[in-house]
Amino acid sequence: MKNTIALILAAAAVSVSCNRGGPATTNSDRPTVALVLKTLNHPFFVDMRRGAQEAADRLGVNLQVQAAEREIDVEKQMQIVENMIQTGIQALVITPSGSREIVSALVKAKNAKVPIIIVDTRVDAKAAADAGVKTETFVGSDNYAGGKLAGEYLVTSTGGKAHVAILEGIPGHETGDSRMRGFRDAVKGAAGVTIVASQPANWERDQGFNVFQNMLQAHPDIDSVFACSDLMALGAIEAIRAAGKTGAIKVIGFDALDDAKKAIAAGTMAASVAQFPSEMGKAAVESAVKVIRGEALPADINVKLALVTKDNVK
Amino acid sequence: MKDARQFGTLIGLVLLSAGLWILTPHFLTVSNLVNVVEQTSINAIVAVGMTFVILSGGIDLSVGSIVALAGVVLGTSLQSGHPLAIALALALAAGTAAGLVNGALISGGGLPPFIVTLGTMSIARGAALLFTEGRPVSGFDAAFRLLATGRVGFVPAPVIAMAVVYAAAHLVLTRTTFGRYVYAIGGNEEATRLSGVAVRFHKTMIYGVSGLMSAIAAVLLTARLNSAQPIAGINYELDAIAATVIGGTSLMGGEGTLGGTLVGALIMGVLRNGLNLLGVSSFLQQIVIGGVIVIAVLLDTVLKRKNRT
Repeated sequence: MKNTIALILAAAAVSVSCNRGGPATTNSDRPTVALVLKTLNHPFFVDMRRGAQEAADRLGVNLQVQAAEREIDVEKQMQIVENMIQTGIQALVITPSGSREIVSALVKAKNAKVPIIIVDTRVDAKAAADAGVKTETFVGSDNYAGGKLAGEYLVTSTGGKAHVAILEGIPGHETGDSRMRGFRDAVKGAAGVTIVASQPANWERDQGFNVFQNMLQAHPDIDSVFACSDLMALGAIEAIRAAGKTGAIKVIGFDALDDAKKAIAAGTMAASVAQFPSEMGKAAVESAVKVIRGEALPADINVKLALVTKDNVK
Repeated sequence: MKDARQFGTLIGLVLLSAGLWILTPHFLTVSNLVNVVEQTSINAIVAVGMTFVILSGGIDLSVGSIVALAGVVLGTSLQSGHPLAIALALALAAGTAAGLVNGALISGGGLPPFIVTLGTMSIARGAALLFTEGRPVSGFDAAFRLLATGRVGFVPAPVIAMAVVYAAAHLVLTRTTFGRYVYAIGGNEEATRLSGVAVRFHKTMIYGVSGLMSAIAAVLLTARLNSAQPIAGINYELDAIAATVIGGTSLMGGEGTLGGTLVGALIMGVLRNGLNLLGVSSFLQQIVIGGVIVIAVLLDTVLKRKNRT
């Protein structure tokens, strides 16, 4: 019988947390919007949630935020979508963990007649069309343009002479692929810029460290690195420090995380492309409210990008 | 005693469900319950293999990686135009073969299962990534996707697959000599060997069963996501071990039932679903789920100690 008691305890834990988090079904006059993030263990998505929550509070939206434990767990994200649909949400705002894989989950939302707003990572247009999924709008930054911004900065700041390494995101993911394409296209014109190595470090700081350390072993002539995300760039900075080459290698990141801004101020990092995730969260919730009211939305809502360097870092 | 333990797990599931029923009107609806069981089916099938392995006193950490490997074999062969039956056979063969390699290394080489499957966890994951160059294989025709999207009445196809797998595995475990040897090896491997049982052969087969179950799960997962991902199935070993031990199977081997594992998997599924419905923070969800696992193992230990004295 002790196990019975134990499970009552578990249920009690659920009820306590419920009272703190608030159930999904209070205030029927307030529209309920689900915000399903890739993960909440990344400052980017934490900022996005903050922006979304502020907009929700202002607009009187009951915002339900859920995220998978790991950024690449599409199956978990799909389960969350299925579960949120059960609570009768009026709009789904989602940052897809996989451009194609998420379509199966979106089909379920479509079948439940829940309007869909995509944030940050685009859905594969062909896969969505094949499944008959229509999304209301895409809120995000143009990652290709961001990569290009980084590439142009590299060319001008090195005078068009560099041996560059690239730390890629997870292969096959739209966000990282676009950033890398933008970067490559920007440096293509500069004859003195050679890309000597390009490897995935899967968005992670520790992998950024390891992969870049290995690159430095293989190519001691590397003098610049473009990381498709700041976490990987921060990992690379540690690898540079370990190799005693701080200051000799120009590091360019993406996202302008707080840690990256500190590194830029300290001079260990040259630049980072800033996205404004809280703006994305805000625009996404505002769009959800418009959809619920039956207003039309543009197909794309572009959120600004900016290059942060030592000159303008705050 | 074994029955009492299993009964207790079932009571736990009922109480948990009753609690959720009180807390949210969205839990106890037909569509949500179907939803929960469908979400549970993949973990529940992987946990069948894990139960065989744990009953025999072993552990299999490679199941998640085998899910990925079998998935990409399936996806790639479907996309290269093989008929569905051939692609399915290749995927199931790949999973079973990976499991048999585990088993052969463990029983033939006399190596600890933890170490062997830790190694093959990495090898199978690497193979899946290498095979696909790290990219997901996506987009299959509707006939294949029926394995996930199909319904018989209101019952989703993965739930039917799960029911068939459990029924078959239960028969194997309770009605065949192989099943008896699974318990015997876990209870006392040396005594089983001395009584003339081909322990090495049967242990190899047990890991083969686990590989096969991972491959079946891979088929359902690939159909569900319409994509075979080389990074699929990460941490599935932990979910499967959790379902097995919550279900009352002893990590020491020799004791446990598949019915318990199914209830264990359902407890995990209901808990995740319920916490989503209640809008509980994702961080808190991990704490609650971890707590339930620890409590279940604690119970197991306490009950056994009581049994002994």
